[in-house]
Amino acid sequence: MFQIIKNEWLYYSRTRLFLGISAGFILVLLFSIFLGSYQTQIQTENYQTAQKHLREQWESIKEMNPHGAAHYGTYVFKPANLLSSLDEGVNSITGNVLRVEGHVQNEIVHSEASQMQTISKFGKLKSSLLLQFIVPILLIFLAFSSISNEKQSGRLKLLLLQGTSPLQLIFAKTLSVWLYGLALLCTTILVYTLLNIQNINSEIMSRAGLFLLTYSFYYFVISGLTVFFSARWQNPTLALTSMLGVWILWTIFLPHILMSSVEKWHELPSRNEFKVAMKEDRSKGVDGHNPSDERKKEFEQKVLKEYGVDSLSQLPINFDGLVMQADEEYGNMVWDKHFGNLRVVLSEQKQSYQLGGILNPFISLQNASMGFAASDNLHHQDFLVQVENYRRDFIKMLNDKHAFGGSKTGDWSWKAGNEFFKSVPDFEYKPTSLATVLSNYFLDFFILGFWVVFVLMLLILGTKKMQVL
Amino acid sequence: MIQIQNVNKAFKGSPAVQNLSLEVNEGEILGLLGANGAGKSTTINMLLGFLPPDSGTVKINKLDTSQNTQEVRRLIGYIPENVNLYPYLTGIENLDYFCRLAGLKYTKAELQKVLSTCGLQNEAHTKKIATYSKGMRQKVGIAIAYAKKAKVYLLDEPASGLDPLASNEFSELLKKLAAEGAAILMASHDIFRVREVCHSIGILKKGELVKKLQSKEVTANELEKLYLEFMQN
Repeated sequence: MFQIIKNEWLYYSRTRLFLGISAGFILVLLFSIFLGSYQTQIQTENYQTAQKHLREQWESIKEMNPHGAAHYGTYVFKPANLLSSLDEGVNSITGNVLRVEGHVQNEIVHSEASQMQTISKFGKLKSSLLLQFIVPILLIFLAFSSISNEKQSGRLKLLLLQGTSPLQLIFAKTLSVWLYGLALLCTTILVYTLLNIQNINSEIMSRAGLFLLTYSFYYFVISGLTVFFSARWQNPTLALTSMLGVWILWTIFLPHILMSSVEKWHELPSRNEFKVAMKEDRSKGVDGHNPSDERKKEFEQKVLKEYGVDSLSQLPINFDGLVMQADEEYGNMVWDKHFGNLRVVLSEQKQSYQLGGILNPFISLQNASMGFAASDNLHHQDFLVQVENYRRDFIKMLNDKHAFGGSKTGDWSWKAGNEFFKSVPDFEYKPTSLATVLSNYFLDFFILGFWVVFVLMLLILGTKKMQVL
Repeated sequence: MIQIQNVNKAFKGSPAVQNLSLEVNEGEILGLLGANGAGKSTTINMLLGFLPPDSGTVKINKLDTSQNTQEVRRLIGYIPENVNLYPYLTGIENLDYFCRLAGLKYTKAELQKVLSTCGLQNEAHTKKIATYSKGMRQKVGIAIAYAKKAKVYLLDEPASGLDPLASNEFSELLKKLAAEGAAILMASHDIFRVREVCHSIGILKKGELVKKLQSKEVTANELEKLYLEFMQN
């Protein structure tokens, strides 16, 4: 088998067309890696600068009413994971800036897609675009005539007479093509590592390893299936047509069909419905800024009783801070309920879509690729949850200061000092753990493994169906 | 060495080989003459183990070709009408590759010696096959079988399209191989070449062996006359 692989690689290395295409492709690949890394680096620097600037602004507040500061708020930026330079996933459409303030959970804004002059069907030039769409085509063009050429030239008889078994031949041809894909993958990871060497850590390397493994599974499926068609059909053109048909089905039609079906099976409320429902539930809470609000009066009585006093002026604390926090907590409960439901539906959609990998391994590849590159919806949702948790702590700290910092009810002119504002912690993003990512993408990994086994069985079957004469 | 006994083979009900029996011993060259579709290639494919006979037995070195395919193939050297090798490899690289597939490792000098023995000029050894003439490629084909130490050579129209000089060189090579003890079966249209090279001759017509004779029994002209008579009747 090694001899056949060696011979195939000699063929590659001595074919000018192949060398030319490979060199051109590697240049584009290197350019995309460089561009991706550069963009990520610039984005990270910009965010760090903006974050630093905002923090300086916050820490420079000399005196301010804490609730005023809650309305003043701050901004949080979604950090770009290093690996997202390989696969941008959903990042370009989800937005990356979130305003954090009291009373309201803002939506993330400033998506790259919304600021682009032209939006390509396939997105920006990222390594994943080349690795997911173009490399498989190169593998198909390398493999489609691998067996049928041997048949048509009559060399197949000679090879078999030299003691090569059909199975050895088919496997060797598959591995030769697969190794080419693997070489491109390894080049990608190597160049990426070299460009980001100062920021590489064990977690990024593990993710890069899983990224590589996922693609190598998919490339084996593509290589093996094309060689199978080459062995099955006498005519190489038929093998090429069949495999290009599979590629079009897998990469263009099935993902859209499956996504549309999944959205029908697990329907999300429309944006308007969702907002109306949220607003309705939110209106049932305590309105901290409305003195005649009934629920506020009930809460007031409860607090007065708790402190054993008859009027708000007798309270040793500032009731306004308490009522603002009660309002916040009610709002949080409403948010948890509605966004919790939304996340359940999103999770169901994700699981159903993942199962679509049984029909289309390209789906499993895309899912796992985004997951390991930390540019998927899981990481995005995790970021949103972390920001919301931060917002709650941030606002609670301000409300508590307002309530217990020394002011009295109704004293809106009371101000907290600079030391307090400096003590309010900044947002710190904790990256999603690899264990969480693995547990979420185990299904995609398993399905790709299933496809590898399926293709292996097809290849074994292919040897029986292979016509020598 | 080659034994075919009462063999029948049909494709979709149409007989390709009918009740064929023949033997080729060590050191013997048997020529099979016949028109297109006479069953020559089918017979060779049954000997190669690529086609099983419908009935009868096909044996090489007493081994049934359809049951001991791998063992039998180790003994066979096969030269088709067009030996299509890998055009991006040189003659010596092609020979080395096919030898390695058969589990044989030769030094460069040994490979060159094999190629020279099979009549390929030294300066051609390191040239790419893409630049070879048909005759040169046939010689490399023979070299592959020779390096494998094949005991049986099956040739399917091997000299078709060769110029007279190349054809003559090829005939000499076959005689040399037979002299070294190989059993050779050669299917051909070329009456004169078969008469010149082969020890015995069989005439196939519609899958049947209609005549078997020794080369020395007839002149080339008599053989041609005989062949035409069989074909016309």
